[in-house]
Amino acid sequence: MRFNKTLIIIFLFSLGTRVAAQTWVVPDDQKAVVAPLKFTPDMQKQGEQLYMKNCQSCHGLPGKDNWAKLTPPPGDLSKEKAQKQTDGEIFYRITTGKVPMPEFRNILPEDDRWSVIAYLRSFNPKYIQPNPVAKAAFTGRIVTLSMQYSEPMKKIVVTASEQLKDGQAGLASGVEIMLYVKRYFGKMQVGDVKTTNAKGQALFEFPADFPGNKDGYVEVSAMVNDPKSIMKTTPANATLAIGVPTDKPSLTATRAMWSTRDKAPVWILLTYTLSVIIVWGFIFYIIYSILKIKRLSNG
Amino acid sequence: MTMDDNNLTFDKITSDLTHHIRINKGFMVWMGFLTVSLAVCLYAYSMQLRTGLGVAGIRDYVTWGLYLANFVFFVAASLIGMLISAVLGLIGMKWLTPITRIAETIAVAFAAVAGLIIISDMGRPERLAYVFIYARPQSPILWDVTVITTYFVLSLLLLFLPLIADMAVIHRKVASLPSWLKPVYKSLSLNFTDRPEQNKIINRSIRILLILLIPAALSIHTVTSWLFAVTSRAGWDSTVFGPYFVSGAFVAGSAAVIIAMFFFRKNYKLQDYLTDMHFNNMGKVLATVSLVYLYFNINEFLVPGYKMKRADAVHLQELFAGKDALLFWVVQLGGLVLPILFMLFRRFRKPLPIMLISIAVLIAAWFKRYIIVIPTQEHPFLPIQHVPQNFVHYSPTLIETLITIAPFILVLIIITLISKFFPVIPLHETAREKGIEHIKFD
Repeated sequence: MRFNKTLIIIFLFSLGTRVAAQTWVVPDDQKAVVAPLKFTPDMQKQGEQLYMKNCQSCHGLPGKDNWAKLTPPPGDLSKEKAQKQTDGEIFYRITTGKVPMPEFRNILPEDDRWSVIAYLRSFNPKYIQPNPVAKAAFTGRIVTLSMQYSEPMKKIVVTASEQLKDGQAGLASGVEIMLYVKRYFGKMQVGDVKTTNAKGQALFEFPADFPGNKDGYVEVSAMVNDPKSIMKTTPANATLAIGVPTDKPSLTATRAMWSTRDKAPVWILLTYTLSVIIVWGFIFYIIYSILKIKRLSNG
Repeated sequence: MTMDDNNLTFDKITSDLTHHIRINKGFMVWMGFLTVSLAVCLYAYSMQLRTGLGVAGIRDYVTWGLYLANFVFFVAASLIGMLISAVLGLIGMKWLTPITRIAETIAVAFAAVAGLIIISDMGRPERLAYVFIYARPQSPILWDVTVITTYFVLSLLLLFLPLIADMAVIHRKVASLPSWLKPVYKSLSLNFTDRPEQNKIINRSIRILLILLIPAALSIHTVTSWLFAVTSRAGWDSTVFGPYFVSGAFVAGSAAVIIAMFFFRKNYKLQDYLTDMHFNNMGKVLATVSLVYLYFNINEFLVPGYKMKRADAVHLQELFAGKDALLFWVVQLGGLVLPILFMLFRRFRKPLPIMLISIAVLIAAWFKRYIIVIPTQEHPFLPIQHVPQNFVHYSPTLIETLITIAPFILVLIIITLISKFFPVIPLHETAREKGIEHIKFD
């Protein structure tokens, strides 16, 4: 019986440590990553600004232990628990995120992420930066997009050009292109992904009834579909007069129930004010009458 | 009737209705008990002021907890002044005369305290003025603040006007009145000498107030219901919420009046004025409003229960067979269906049984507000992710409970003071109904 209990305790312990270990593992090769540059005071200064904008709302001010009360707790990043990690570990966590921590892969460029780490390390007097290792030269395709609207074809033509090995520019075929238009909340994809032909072109049909701004302009952008980030790409942006001119006032521009006080509907202002005036008019009249009771007896 | 008979009867009525106006030991002990209890609750509130609303069980899911349930209950209970005095009074039901002041006292006490409850739900009560400074006329919160203030003032005036004549009698005729109180009564009686012009003003003012009271009272509870019904949440998103709340309010208020009648009758020896007939009739009123409320309950649960839209289904499942089922069925059956069945029989409308039924109804009425306010919030349309367990399930804390009890103590203090220092039953009106046209002031 006693033996069983011990077993259970050992089992629970191992379970507990497993759960703890499962929390957020950084792969070993990522742990070993070091910064490409030596941390400088300028980097720390820039890192501070980035930290205040992107990190402070949850992690609080470094050294003040005033992080947001969330589960799991974000913690103060100037403290030992965070500082005992390698630069590579911190970089990996910032890059990938883990709910509720957001991923900054597409929010902060790599250099900015390193600046934030430089700032955080400035709170650790024992920290000595490992020798920087510059990133290896890029060997993949380097693609640049451009975009035009072809009136005769009634199509948007996206042209992809690439830097060839000999340094010359050439047309890039076989590149997957995605086309987006800007809407209220972010970008909306138009049509499917198209692959560039031998002339480096991808043609997109654009709907004829698409609502543009009040002059008919639409903000269009073309991007390379490169989910594994094996290329270096430059998207193309253009404002084209290909939409239907649309002039709708913003939902908060006119008087409405959901607007601010200054834009309250007239009928509600009148109803409210009149009701208050009428009822309180009677109330004051009654109070005045009550005071008259006293005078009547004197007279 | 001769002049002497007249005076004899009037003296008898005066003595019957005012003999309790004196400061005795029982009153001191009772008030002492209330004051100490209030002090304990205020200490709990001071802890909330220092530490913030976190000391209460309310979190990001259930942001309206006991405080708001309590607020709805208090607004509900205050509505009875309108039903008794205005609706039934204007119809011309003479038997109501001895009950009107009890109803008005309850209305004033509950309406006055309802506003304070809202302040207890504020994390930064010192910013109360912002409600007015930054008021949006589109917001039901502003309407609610406006109508509750208006209803309170109307009820206070309606309580005061019939008291003018009574106070004129008291400061002249009641020997037990402490001498330091005499000038207070004298100045509050506004030199009333029962002149026809004075009576005319009082009667006309009362009539205007009674008419104003009906829309004001309907507004306060309809607007309170809109605080819930204008959101699209399951359990609140309902078009019958206004009448559902108003009819529920009449149930709570009638029960409160019957309980008060019972204790005043016993403590102030008013058996000749609050007779079995009054309890019988109030029992009928309570049964009638309960039936109306039952009708709205059936509407409120059967219609969404028939359609079972997804969010409604989750909500109703919790109420009918889930976490809140026990509370729900005890409240609906024990606080509504069973009392109605009992009250159909005359023998249960005798003073003691109807008072016991009213206590059950009133307690159920409080928990009914809990059922309306809290379970809905535990099932939001868009659940928050990665929150601690105590965000998801609401359970009130001790401090919160104490702060919730405080308004009840305040109401008891207000009712005790009004009933102790003024006749519980309108003196002047009772005399007039007994055929005494003019009071003789010597």
